[in-house]
Amino acid sequence: MIARLRRYLPDGKWAVIAPPYFWMLLFFAVPFAIALKISFANIQIAMPPYTSLTEWVGDTLTVKVNVANYLFLLRDSLYFNAYLSSLKIAVIATFFCLLVGYPIAYAISRLPTASRNTALMLVVLPSWTSFLIRIYAWIGILKNNGLLNNFLIWLGVIDEPLQILHTPIAVYIGIVYAYLPFMILPLYTNLVKHDNRLLEAAYDLGCRPWQAFLKVTLPLSKAGIIAGSMLVMIPVVGEFVIPELMGGADTLMIGRVLWQEFFNNRDWPVASAVAIVMLILLIVPIMIFHHYQSKELEGRLT
Amino acid sequence: MAATATSVAASTAAKTEPLREDYVRIDDLTKEYDGFRAVDDVALTIRKGEIFALLGASGCGKSTLLRCLAGFEKPTYGKIELDGSSIVELAPYDRPINMMFQSYALFPHMTVEQNIGFGLKMAGHSKDRIKARVDEMLTLVQMNTFAKRKPHQLSGGQQQRVALARSLALSPKLLLLDEPMGALDKKLRSQMQLELVGIIERLGVTCVMVTHDQEEAMTMATRIAIMDAGKIRQIGTPDEIYEQPSSKFVAQFIGSVNLIEGTIVDDEKDYVTIRSDVLEQPIYIGHGVTGFEGQSVAYALRPEKIKIEKDEPAQEHNKARGIIEDIAYFGTHSVYHVRLVTGKKLLVHFMNAKRWASERFTWNDPVWLSWGDNAGVVLTS
Repeated sequence: MIARLRRYLPDGKWAVIAPPYFWMLLFFAVPFAIALKISFANIQIAMPPYTSLTEWVGDTLTVKVNVANYLFLLRDSLYFNAYLSSLKIAVIATFFCLLVGYPIAYAISRLPTASRNTALMLVVLPSWTSFLIRIYAWIGILKNNGLLNNFLIWLGVIDEPLQILHTPIAVYIGIVYAYLPFMILPLYTNLVKHDNRLLEAAYDLGCRPWQAFLKVTLPLSKAGIIAGSMLVMIPVVGEFVIPELMGGADTLMIGRVLWQEFFNNRDWPVASAVAIVMLILLIVPIMIFHHYQSKELEGRLT
Repeated sequence: MAATATSVAASTAAKTEPLREDYVRIDDLTKEYDGFRAVDDVALTIRKGEIFALLGASGCGKSTLLRCLAGFEKPTYGKIELDGSSIVELAPYDRPINMMFQSYALFPHMTVEQNIGFGLKMAGHSKDRIKARVDEMLTLVQMNTFAKRKPHQLSGGQQQRVALARSLALSPKLLLLDEPMGALDKKLRSQMQLELVGIIERLGVTCVMVTHDQEEAMTMATRIAIMDAGKIRQIGTPDEIYEQPSSKFVAQFIGSVNLIEGTIVDDEKDYVTIRSDVLEQPIYIGHGVTGFEGQSVAYALRPEKIKIEKDEPAQEHNKARGIIEDIAYFGTHSVYHVRLVTGKKLLVHFMNAKRWASERFTWNDPVWLSWGDNAGVVLTS
């Protein structure tokens, strides 16, 4: 009897995989559900600042789903432009991360085994300092009387300071700098697994080193490139701190719009709708990332 | 050593062919790593159209020598000439040499077709030309039906065929094989060995192979170089290496051998006698050797050259008595471990020519061993 009952009760294996599921439920599914709920509510001046979706009148339960917030996002071109601009910035920043990160990851993977961990450490080391402090450090470097401008003036290259801070260039510099490790690490894990004999086979069949790179190394690192790119692109779309601190007033990003809706306009329903739409936009890249990440974990290079 | 006898027979056909021109000439070749000499002053020539095997234990330098030929290693000094011109300074991609890699190194992201056509594509041939040549290669290795597969969808034997086709597609002047059978199981190995030799001989391509497997070298190669500690110990056809080893090392490396230490007591033009502490009778050799009276030598006697019988043979020399201490039955032959009256142990092969041999011996049987005047080799080193 007890034995039969035990078959239907969860066993030890379940206890092992339960915590991550519980974590996801508590910190992803529940907040998402709350945000989704708020996005279908109306704004009201109260506490909390939105209406309830359900209402008991007599014996009737009415569920009111208000899609006005979403329609508002469609009607006001500000939101469309902000999404588009965020995506554009994310794509361009990801491209530059790849351009800078690939050679670094490649170089580390070619180092002798003993030096590789040190090199990886150097990649990760800056993130041991607070993110905000590093961004302020970049402001110190890029501002009009900052390190870079003073140095260039001292060299005599320029006569008056270059306006870099509070331009899109500063935002790109900040993003590429902050997200570079997320590009390098997945690329490195891919590149370090490459079989050197494949390159030798390519040389043997008439490839010069750069041709062997294009024909063998690059296609075989596709999974790493995609994993790294998604890992950079997805959070950059919603990035708030870097455009806020380093960008100008014209640097339009969805993270800033979200902030304004939430804290300046106190419009929680519209802010929630903005967040939900952003998530939906990111589902496609997240799926792509997941697909290639699991491929990478399985160790298949094809 | 069941296959040794058959492979010696197979390679005698190659031996009777006339000597061909020297095609690859390696001279004075040395490769050092941090003071360690992986390849030590190697000189050898390889003739056009032959399959030349570098045979040795792991770490003997055979792979380094092969990589020097391919261009992946730059020799510390020395000369390598191919078809009359030096190739030492050429990069791997400029050498008319292709290699079949150990465990094949097929490009995992390309199909069988793309793998085979890769070299042709890099050489800038037209699409039609590449297609025709790839089809020709696929037919050669009987892989036409697998053209669109990826390497990971193929078995080990099929991958090997693709690797061979890829290395032959550019019609190289020299084909290098690095442990060609290393990734195959034993049964498939002996089948692929002969098939590989068939393909290579049909195309007439000159070939250098590296292997640690002596059966493989004996089955496939026209000539074999035995390597040890970066040096070449002996070069010869498989039967020369087996029947006329030049040193104790080579005699012991190939097959099994009985080494009898002794001293030359008679050194005449047409015969030599050797006295040994482990034999009651002297060893008589029916031809002269380069030695002198009083020189200590080793007499190398292969186990299958010894005759085993119950009664004392009539001959005066080249015999010994003992008892059978151990028997190993291999089906084709049995190996008897015979302890001589002096305590020395000799190995004797006995062909099991009959199914129910009444003359088969058993443990502790007293036996007489004997051998002919030309059965063994006198070794001075």
